Amino acid sequence: MAAPDNIVTIRNLSKIYLQGEINVTALDNISLDIAAGEFLALLGPSGSGISTVLHIIAGIDRPTSGECHVQGIDVARLNESQLADWRNQNVGFVFQTFNLIPVLTAFENVELPLLLTRLTRRARRRQVETALELVGLADRAKHLPKQLSGGQEQRVAIARALVTDPALVVADEPTGNLDSHSAQEVLGVLRALSQDAGKTVIMVTHDPKAAAFGSRQIHLEKGELTK
Amino acid sequence: MTLPTFILKNAVRNKRRATLSVLSVAVSLFLLVMLQVALRELTNPIDDEGSSLRIIVRSKVSLAQPLPARQLQTLERIPGVAAVSPFSFFGGLYKGDEKFTSFAQFAIDPQRAQPLIADAKVPPEQLEAWKADRTSCIVGKLTADRYGMKIGDRLQFTGQFYPCDLDLRVAGIYHGTADDRNVMFHQKYLDELLGNPGVVGTWWVRAASIAEAPQVTDRINQAFANTSAEVRAESERAFVLGFVSMWANIKTLISGISIVVVFALILVTVSTMSMAIRERFRELAILKAIGFRRRDLFVLILAESFGLAMLGALVGAGGAWVLFHNININQLTNGLFLVFEVTPQMMGLAFAVAASLGLLAAALPMINVARTSVVQGLKTLD
Repeated sequence: MAAPDNIVTIRNLSKIYLQGEINVTALDNISLDIAAGEFLALLGPSGSGISTVLHIIAGIDRPTSGECHVQGIDVARLNESQLADWRNQNVGFVFQTFNLIPVLTAFENVELPLLLTRLTRRARRRQVETALELVGLADRAKHLPKQLSGGQEQRVAIARALVTDPALVVADEPTGNLDSHSAQEVLGVLRALSQDAGKTVIMVTHDPKAAAFGSRQIHLEKGELTK
Repeated sequence: MTLPTFILKNAVRNKRRATLSVLSVAVSLFLLVMLQVALRELTNPIDDEGSSLRIIVRSKVSLAQPLPARQLQTLERIPGVAAVSPFSFFGGLYKGDEKFTSFAQFAIDPQRAQPLIADAKVPPEQLEAWKADRTSCIVGKLTADRYGMKIGDRLQFTGQFYPCDLDLRVAGIYHGTADDRNVMFHQKYLDELLGNPGVVGTWWVRAASIAEAPQVTDRINQAFANTSAEVRAESERAFVLGFVSMWANIKTLISGISIVVVFALILVTVSTMSMAIRERFRELAILKAIGFRRRDLFVLILAESFGLAMLGALVGAGGAWVLFHNININQLTNGLFLVFEVTPQMMGLAFAVAASLGLLAAALPMINVARTSVVQGLKTLD
C-alpha cells in the first residue's frame, strides 16, 4: 500500500523484455518511494532502466512483476482505456524531442489534452492561457512550432503537460535537445513547478548538471538502484 | 480548437499530397462514372410504352436475310396486330461522311407506319408532304440540327448494303421519339431503285395493347413456321437487346476497366494514406500518451481518410454529373451517344466506392496503431 505522503510507491518492481529469444532485464526488483511535490531526478547511463521506471510510473508500460502505486492506484491493473483516461487526468508528459504537432499553434498544442475533457471552450481557453503564462510564453500563443526556438518549444510542451493540472509531471531527458541556456530555462521551469506549484516532477536524465536541479537524485545502473 | 478542426488540419498538413490524393480519387471516380454511363447507354435500350407495343419481325435465318413482301397480308390478319409497315435498314453513307454515318436511314410505308411513329411530332403539312412525295423523307431533329438540314434540302446517301444510292428531299423534321436521329423514307422508293424485288428488310408491327404484345409475337412466329421464309418476331426492346448481346465483349471490357480503375484507386489511396499515417506515428504515440484512447485515434484516422475519399467522390462523381448534364454528348461523340445521363444509382455507386475506399485506406494504419504500444511508438521518436 502507498504511504500517505508518497505519491508514488514502487515495490519489488521488475521488467524483463524479450528480445528475440533472449530475456533482457531492464529493472531488477527495485523499490522506491516518491513524495508528493518532490522533484526527483533519475540519473543513469543509457540502458540503465531509468526510462523504463518512468514509463511504468506514467502508465505507458507495464511491469513484469511487482507493484507501482500512483496516488494509491495500482496502474498496472488498469485496462487500456482506463489507463488512457488516468494519464489524461493525472500525468503530464515532457519528451526530449518536444513532439509538438507542427500544424497546430502553441495554443492549440497546449489545448490538445483538454479536447478529451468535457470543459467548455471558454474554460479550455482559460486553462491554456494560464499554462502558457506559467511557462512565460503567453505572447507566443499563435506561433507555430517552427516559429519557436527549441527552448520555447520545450516550454510549450511543458505547458501541454500542465494544462490538465496533473499531480505528476514526467520528463524524459527534457534538455537533451537544448543548448545550455535553453536547458537552464526549462529546468528552472520544472523546478518552479515542484517548488511553487506543488507538482511532483520526475525527470530522467543522463546529465548530472541537469539532475542537480532536482530535490533528490536517484541513480540506476543495470536495472538496479545504486544510491 | 475542436476535434474536427484538428482532423482538418491534419488532413491538409501536406497540401500537395492531400490535393493529389483527392484528385486521384476524383479522376478515378469520374472515369468510373463515365464508364458506367457509357455502358448503360450502350446496353440499356430506352423502355417506353411505344417500344413495348412495337414488334420487329426479321428472318429467322439472319437479320441480313430479307423477307418476302407478300407476308404483309398474313401479318395484317393476325389477331392483335394494329399496324404493319416494312422496316428496311438502308445503312447508307451520307454525302460528306467519308467512313461512318452516325444516323440510320429506314425505308417504311408512311401510311401504314403512322401508328408506329405516333410519338414522332411532325407538323401536319410536313407529314402530308412526305406522304405525297415518295422521294422525300423526314429527318430527326438531332440530325437536322447537326447537319443544318432544312425543309427542301436534298440528301444523298451512298448504298453500302444495297446496290443503289438515295437522293431524298427533306419534307419534314420530327422530334419527340426516343431516338431523334433517324431518316425515314418510302419503301416504295427503295423498291423502285432496286427494281421491285418484292422483299423488305424487316417488318415493323404494332400490337393492339401491351398486354397482348407477347401473344401477338407468338402468333407471328407460328404463322410463318414451316414456310420458306420463317420469321423471328420479338419486341422492339428484345430486338435492341439482341444487338446489345453482340456487344458482350465490350460490356466485359468496360466492366473490366471499371474494376481495374477501382482496384488501382484502392492501391494508390491505401498507399498514400498509410504513408501519411506512418509519417505521424510519433505524433500518434504522443496523443496516446496524453490520453487519447485507441478509438479516439481510430476516429482521427478514419475521419481523415474518409473525408479525403468523399471529397474526391464529390469532385469526381459530382464533376461528371455537372459535366454530362451540360454538354451536348450527341455532338461531341458524333452521334454515337444520344444522351449521357448520370443516374442516382451511379452517383450512389461512386460514393459507395469512395466510402469503402476511405474505410480500406484507414484499416491498415488503424491496425498498426492498435498493435503499437505507446512505448514502441515513443521509441520511433529518437
